[in-house]
Amino acid sequence: MLAVAWGSLTPGKHPGTWRSSAPHRASPVPKSLCRCGGDLPPRSAPGLLSLGGFLRFPSQEMPSVSVLDYALPQRPPQAREEERDLSERALPRRSSSPVIGSPPVRAVPIGTPPKQAAVPSFNQQILCPKPVHIRASMQQRYPAPYGERMSPNQLCNVPNSSLLGHPFPHSVSPVLTHLQRAQLLGGAQAGRMSPSQFARVSGLVGSPLPSVNPKLLQGRVGQMMSPAGGFRAFFGAAPAPPPPSQPQPPPGPASHLQGLRPQPQMFRPDTTHLHPQHRRLLHQRQQQNRNQHRSLNGSVGDRGGHRGSHQEQARKDPYANLMLQREKDWVSKIQMMQLQSTDPYLDDYYYQNYFQKLEKLAAAEEVHGDGPKKERTKLITPQVAKLEHAYKPVQFEGSLGKLTVSSVNNPRKMIDAVVTSRGEDDETKEKQVRDKRRQTLVTIEKTYSLLLDVEDYERRYLLSLEGERPALMGERKQKICDMYDNLRGKAPGQERPSDDHFMQIMCIRKGKRLVARILPFLSPEQAADVLMATARNLPFLIKKDAQDEVLPCLLRPFSHVLYHLPLGTVTSLVQQLTNLPQSATAPAPTNLHLAAVLQNKFGLSLLYLVLSRGEELQSSDTSTELMQDNQWTELMLLATRELLRIPAAALAKPVSPPSNLLALFSRYVDQQKLNLLETKLQ
Amino acid sequence: RFFSPGSAALNCSQTPKHLVLLRDGRTLIGFLRSIDQFANLVLHQTVERIHVGKKYGDIPRGIFVVRGENVVLLGEIDLEKESDTPLQQVSIEEILEEQRLELQAKQESEKLKVQALKERGLSVPRADTLDEY
Repeated sequence: MLAVAWGSLTPGKHPGTWRSSAPHRASPVPKSLCRCGGDLPPRSAPGLLSLGGFLRFPSQEMPSVSVLDYALPQRPPQAREEERDLSERALPRRSSSPVIGSPPVRAVPIGTPPKQAAVPSFNQQILCPKPVHIRASMQQRYPAPYGERMSPNQLCNVPNSSLLGHPFPHSVSPVLTHLQRAQLLGGAQAGRMSPSQFARVSGLVGSPLPSVNPKLLQGRVGQMMSPAGGFRAFFGAAPAPPPPSQPQPPPGPASHLQGLRPQPQMFRPDTTHLHPQHRRLLHQRQQQNRNQHRSLNGSVGDRGGHRGSHQEQARKDPYANLMLQREKDWVSKIQMMQLQSTDPYLDDYYYQNYFQKLEKLAAAEEVHGDGPKKERTKLITPQVAKLEHAYKPVQFEGSLGKLTVSSVNNPRKMIDAVVTSRGEDDETKEKQVRDKRRQTLVTIEKTYSLLLDVEDYERRYLLSLEGERPALMGERKQKICDMYDNLRGKAPGQERPSDDHFMQIMCIRKGKRLVARILPFLSPEQAADVLMATARNLPFLIKKDAQDEVLPCLLRPFSHVLYHLPLGTVTSLVQQLTNLPQSATAPAPTNLHLAAVLQNKFGLSLLYLVLSRGEELQSSDTSTELMQDNQWTELMLLATRELLRIPAAALAKPVSPPSNLLALFSRYVDQQKLNLLETKLQ
Repeated sequence: RFFSPGSAALNCSQTPKHLVLLRDGRTLIGFLRSIDQFANLVLHQTVERIHVGKKYGDIPRGIFVVRGENVVLLGEIDLEKESDTPLQQVSIEEILEEQRLELQAKQESEKLKVQALKERGLSVPRADTLDEY
């Protein structure tokens, strides 16, 4: 009504505003509207018209509106604008959320599931039950003649229910339940009902049940169920005991009903304990699924154990398909979207590597001609192409400066935190030590990042193009150099006299593991250097490692390094390890360095490795150069003497004593001592 | 093709049972009727299963609606494997008693530990705010 009045007042002025926009905050009707003709302030136009538009909507539709429709002010008519004084104009409508820089606002939130398919109108009263206030008021006015288990909504469907709120006599033909109407649609028997009765009935179902289509009743005169029979059929096997106040069906119009045969009932499981609305929804879903099943039947076929009768399935488990396939797909889609990644090796490193390993194993097995490989169901994650998104902040023409709005796409620095280090002279010793340790930790972390990059190069190499490969190699080399520098401490120009930096790193557990991983990438000289430094300071390291016991992890890379070392290096290594020959000042029986080495698992194992390498070299090199190497011989003699001297109990247990040690010792000692040594080696 | 929840239900004649582990340590077993993008679950004919050692007991609970943030994991139960398990089912009272005893023992050992640490001058943060069970 409102809309029509408005139209009459200002004809043809607002053609554009008759669109369906989201309901605006309804502005109060200005007094001026009551006047016929005359000027009306344009500002009220949007509100009223959108209100009018709102009234036209079907009750359940709420379109998702883009913010642009909503946030921008609607144009008032041009003619008016010129005449108006601008000060009278209301402020443009404020949007409820900051548009700029934010993701678009939807009237319907992102996470809402897909809407139900459009349901036929006669079902509406189930899905959209009467609002509570109407229901409640009706209950107050009338007693409930049919028992407490029925919802008020259900009661309204009951034929002859006095709840319908119309003072019609009971002689009127019964109002049909929705199911009966459905059956009516299907049936097409000539009825003996007079149209007038239907007309009254349609009146009956006028306002309380607005969504029922009167045409259903007028044109279709089909089978009519007796109300009692209809009830029983609908509610299943065990009906509620009829209350005493049930009105008698009218004799006139209903007499012929008894003659009619009720339609064959669909089988329904015993769902009488459920709420009627629940039951209806359930059956509706079953119907839907039956339709689905019918269409899918060809594809489903007879997959293991699948029975032909869906009804039987429904009987076994009436709730089996509460979620429609569409809904399941929708949830799966969201879950897969969350797994999208532009660089799976970055986001999901361990998963990718694990599956690669498995595949390699499977491929290896297949090569051996073993049985059929197992089907591994691998989750195929969606791949998204990498797109470069450069966020450009919004700019308005003609404005000075830029907007400073911080949003999820454009985070802004809120606090300017600057690190100021105080370089006081009287810093305590502890603080210095602590800072130094922290420095070392930072170095370790940086080197670790370099290491991870270097380890990744192989894979990148395989993926890259031919032209890029030299560049990649160069990068890799550079990184390796950097790592080494980090390890040994950069000392530009000068030699590297102090092992201090390296020692600091080696005191930390992570540092030791880092060195173990870096060693394979270093050049032989660099690796030897590292080895030397370790050997030189071994007792110190052993002491520091007492708690962690991580040194043995270095053994394997060390052994690889040793394999490539020439004799000279090996000799010096032994020298470093055993600290032999000792200086004159040190008392003869005590060689603490060697003792510490021998008593430690790692130390002893390392010593054995080195000795074993020496033996290899000796045995392989047929030239007499080695025999003439005084240093080596001397060392061996001293070493064996030490070994003999140390009690067997004090000797640590080596990781794996090399097999050629005895051969080595046999060159330098006699049989008796050899036996002694042998026992010690076990 | 990826697995969608309940797709098995569509194809087999038997709805598979699901096992849900919650953050507070409870184990629920039931028919998964509905799931959404937050992993909110609707479980039907749910049974809460308490495990203590080699024994377990079931408490029937009915319909559960679980908020997604409390779910640790959800998996389908292989009905064949379920029948041959080394675990022994006992009555509810018994399993509750066992659980109580186990909890008591744990608390006592925890108390001793905290005491020992305190003597050495160390303190362990309380685990109330952590998901610990």
